[in-house]
Amino acid sequence: MVMALRKRVMRILKENNRRYLGILVLIILGSYTFIVAAGLAQNLANLVTTFTEEHRQEDLSFRADRVIPDREGLEQAAGVVIEDYLSFDAALSDTLTLRLLSATERLNTPAVIEGRALSGPGEILLDPAFAGANGYPVGSQIEAAGKTFTVVGYMSLPHYIYPLKNVNDILSSPQEFGVGVITRGAFTGLDNAERIYAVRFNDRTRSLNRQAVELRERLRADGITVSDWVDIMNNRRARLVWASITGMKTMSVPLPVAMFLISCLIIAIMFWRMIRRDGVIIGTLYAQGYRRRELTRHYMTIPLLLALAGGVIGSLLAIPSLEPMVMAMVSYYNVPVPGVELNFLHVLTGILTPVLFLGLSSYLVIRSELRRSPAELMKGEQQKTKVNALERAFKLERFKFSTKFKLRQQFRSISRLVFLFLGVTSASILMLFGFTVMNSMRHVFDASETYQFEYEYSFRELQFGAAPEGAEAFNAGKFYPENNQEIEFYIAGIEPDSRLITLTDLKGNPLPNNQTNITKPLADRMGIKVGDTVTFISKEDGKPYTFQIDAVAASYIEQFIYLPLAEFNQKMGLPENSFIGLFSTKKLDIPDEKLSGFKTMGELPGAMDEFMGQVVSMVVMMTVVASVVALIIIYLVTSLLIEENRNSISLLKIFGYRRREIRSLILNSSTPVIVAGFIAGIPLALASMGAVYGYLGKMINLVLPPIVSPLYVVISFVTIMLTYQLSKALCAKSVETVAMSEALKAGTE
Amino acid sequence: MFIEVSGLKKSYTTGEVKTEVLKGIDLKLGKGEIGVILGPSGSGKSTLINIIGGVDRGDSGRVIVDETEVSKMNDEELTEYRRAEIGFVFQFYNLIPNLTVGENIEVVANISKSPLNINEVLQAVEMEDKKDRFPRELSGGEQQRVAIARAIVKNPKLLLGDEPTGALDFQTSRSILQLLQQVNEKFGTTILMITHNTAIAAMANRVFKLRSGKVVEEWVNQELVPAERIEW
Repeated sequence: MVMALRKRVMRILKENNRRYLGILVLIILGSYTFIVAAGLAQNLANLVTTFTEEHRQEDLSFRADRVIPDREGLEQAAGVVIEDYLSFDAALSDTLTLRLLSATERLNTPAVIEGRALSGPGEILLDPAFAGANGYPVGSQIEAAGKTFTVVGYMSLPHYIYPLKNVNDILSSPQEFGVGVITRGAFTGLDNAERIYAVRFNDRTRSLNRQAVELRERLRADGITVSDWVDIMNNRRARLVWASITGMKTMSVPLPVAMFLISCLIIAIMFWRMIRRDGVIIGTLYAQGYRRRELTRHYMTIPLLLALAGGVIGSLLAIPSLEPMVMAMVSYYNVPVPGVELNFLHVLTGILTPVLFLGLSSYLVIRSELRRSPAELMKGEQQKTKVNALERAFKLERFKFSTKFKLRQQFRSISRLVFLFLGVTSASILMLFGFTVMNSMRHVFDASETYQFEYEYSFRELQFGAAPEGAEAFNAGKFYPENNQEIEFYIAGIEPDSRLITLTDLKGNPLPNNQTNITKPLADRMGIKVGDTVTFISKEDGKPYTFQIDAVAASYIEQFIYLPLAEFNQKMGLPENSFIGLFSTKKLDIPDEKLSGFKTMGELPGAMDEFMGQVVSMVVMMTVVASVVALIIIYLVTSLLIEENRNSISLLKIFGYRRREIRSLILNSSTPVIVAGFIAGIPLALASMGAVYGYLGKMINLVLPPIVSPLYVVISFVTIMLTYQLSKALCAKSVETVAMSEALKAGTE
Repeated sequence: MFIEVSGLKKSYTTGEVKTEVLKGIDLKLGKGEIGVILGPSGSGKSTLINIIGGVDRGDSGRVIVDETEVSKMNDEELTEYRRAEIGFVFQFYNLIPNLTVGENIEVVANISKSPLNINEVLQAVEMEDKKDRFPRELSGGEQQRVAIARAIVKNPKLLLGDEPTGALDFQTSRSILQLLQQVNEKFGTTILMITHNTAIAAMANRVFKLRSGKVVEEWVNQELVPAERIEW
C-alpha cells in the first residue's frame, strides 16, 4: 500500500476513535472470555480426570450388614476391585465435625498435596480447606475421637473432591465439616467406625450401571444386605466439580461468538457507510490507476488491525489470569494441581477467530462496494432509491409526529435495527442469566418453605411404633425410571397429616400430604403431569413399582415423590408402622450406632451465605460485562444514527427546533427498540437457562428451577436503561456540534 | 419596509486569513414583495440570506425584519424567530430522506403555532397524491415542490430561497417559479431568493445585484413578468 494511504488509516481511526474503541473492547472481551473459559474448562477437566484415574476413583460405594466373606472371589467373579475403608465422624465441637477415613491402597487413594504421606497411627492428612478454615497448619496437632494426631500434610481424595458431609448435600462448609485420613491402625478403639466398601469395575467399556446391577445381585445371592448404595454419578462429592467444568465449557463458546458477531456486524455497517462516503475518493483513485486489490487492502487494514489488536490484547490479558483463575476455581474443590497448562491452540483461536470473523465480513462488504465502476463512484454517494419493507409496511398516520419521526429513524436501516435489537437482547440475556442463576440457587437452598423440621435422623434398620413427640416418621427409597438409570431420586412415605413437610401447588395453595405429590423439578425432568401413572424401579430390589401422581408441588429443593407412609410401606412390602427415619423439630436422644445419617437444617445457612457470596460476585461481574456490552452497542448505534442524520439535525436546527426537541427526536428514537430487545431477552434468558439447567441435571443430578424474579427483571431493565442514558449523554455533544451550515451547503436526495 | 438591512458586514477568518464576505450591505424589501438577489459565486448572496434568515450573524450593521431587530437576537431568540417567521427553500431540496412527503411537511407544521392544513398545502403544490411517497421516489421538481410546501405550511412571514431552481431543468424550474409566485399571491408571503439566473429577475418586485460583498446595483420592476412567460 502506498505510504500516503497508510497514513489515512490512522487518521480514520482517530476521527472515530470512540467507535473503534468500542469495537476493540468487544473483541478484547470476546478473546479474553474464550481463552479463560476454555482454559478453565480444559484445565479443570484434565486435573479432575487425571486425579480420578491415577488415584482410582470408586464407581460406587455401599455398606453391608456384615463383612464380605470371600472378597477376592467376588472380585474375580464380578470383575471388580473392592476395598473397604473405615469412617468415623469425630465431633470437634458442637458445630465442627471431622470425618476420619482410613487410608486406602487400591481405590480412592489419597494424593498428598503438601507435606508427606502417613507413616504411623499418630498422624493425619487433612483436607486443605478444612485445615485452612480451622487453623491446622502442617506440623500442628489435632484432637479427634479422643486421640491426638499430628498433621503431617494435606491431601485430596477422589471421592471427596467436594467435601460434602452427606452425599445429597449441595454445599460444603469447611468451617463445619472436613475430612482427614489416618492409618487403619489408628482406628483401634473407635468402636463405632463404619465400614464402607468402595468398588471399581475393571471393564471400563461395558455399562457401569449394568455391572452395578449384576454386582448387587451377586451380593444379594451371597446373602449380604447392602445399604447406602451410592453410584459415583449420583455422588455430588465427586460430580459437582463437573458442573463447574460444564458451566465453563458452555460459557467458552456462545459468549465470545456473540461478541465477535456483534463486532462483525457493526464493523460491516461502518465500512459499508465509509466506502459509500468515500465513493468520490475511490473513483478518483481508480481513475488515477489504483487497482481494486490495492484499495481493498487499504480498507481491510482497519478491521484486520482491530481484530488482531483485540485478539492479542485479549490473549495477553487472559494468559496471566488463567492460572490464578484455575487456582481460585480449584480452591473451591479439593483436587491436586501439579500445574496449569496454557493451551496455545486456545490462544491462537482467540486471536485468529476475530481476525477471521471481521476479516471475512469486511472483505465481503468492501468487495461488493468496490465492484462499482469508477464513473459511478465518482458521481458521489449513490442515492438509495429503494424503500425497504419495514418503511413500506408500517402505516404511521395515527401516531403523533415525534413518534412517527423516531420510528422512521429506526425503520430506515434494517441492519442497524437488527443490530441494536440483538445487541440489547444479548446484553439482557447475559444480565438476566446471572440474576436467574442467583434466584434459582436461592430457591434451591431455601428449604424453609418445605421443611419445617430442624433435624433429620436416618436409622440403620427399620424402626417400629410411634414417633417421639415433636417428630414424624418417614420411610424412603431410591428409584430410577425404567429407561434412564442415570436419573436417581427418592420416593418417601410421610405421615398423611405431616406438619413438618409443607408442600404447596404451583399457585401457592397448600397441598395435602395424604396423596402422592411430586416436586416440580422432578416432574419437569421426567415430563410427569398430574394424573399420570408412572412406574419406577427401586434401587434396593430392582423391582418396578407404580404410582399415580395427584399433584405437582412447587418445591425446588429436591427431587422427591411424597406419598402417605402407610401406602408406601404397603407398596414396598414393608411392615405396617415401620419407618427408617425421623423428622424432628428438636434434637432427639438416639444412640449413634443406631443411626446411618443425621442432618441439621441449621448447617445450611452458613454454607449458603458463603456460596451465595460467590454467586453474587459472579452476577455482579456478569452484570458489569453485560452493561459494558450494552453501552458499547447502544453508543455505536446512536453515533451511527447521528452520523446518518447530520443533515436532518442541521435542518431541524434551521427550522427552529429547540435543542432538547432535537435531542429527543434523534437520541430517544432507539427507546422502543431497546425496550423490545429487553422484553425479548426475558423468555430467551429463561429458555437458555432451562437448557443449561437441563444439562446440569444430567451432569450432577441437581435440578435448578429457571425462575426470574420480577425484582431482578426490573433491576436489569433499569441497568439497561441507565446504560442507554449514559450512551445518550456521550452522544449528546455530537448532536450539539452539527452546524446549520451543513444542510445549507449539502445536497441530499 | 418589511426587511431593512443596513451597513451589514461579515467576515470569516481561516487560520491567519481574514475574508470579508459582506462589506456593508444595504437592502430593503416591502411586505408581500418578491426580491431577487443576483450575483456570481462568492459574492456573499448565501451569507446575506443566511443572516436575514437567522442561521448566521453579521459582524456589524443592522438587520430588521418586520420591525424586529434580528441582529440583536441571542441564540434562543434566533431559534424562536426561525421557528415562527421564516420558511427556507434550498437548492438541493433538503428533504428528510426517511420521512414521507406528508411527514416532511409535518416536520415544520409540528412546531408551528398555527400551521396551514397539510393537505391543502399539498394540493397547492399539486403533490396531494404523493403524500405517502418517500423523497427518493420523487423527481427533483417534485422534491422541490414538497420543499416549498414544507416552507409555507407554517405560513411564514418571509420565505427565503437559496437557488431554488438551481438543480432543475428549464421546464421544472419554470413550474417552481410559478408556484412561488402563486404562494406570494395567495398567502401574501414575502419572498427573497438567490439566483444565478438573471432571467428570473423579471418576476421580482426588487432586484439586488451583489458583487464582492456589496450591492452594486438595485432596481425595482414596475411591470412584473408572470413566471410562465420567463424564458432563458
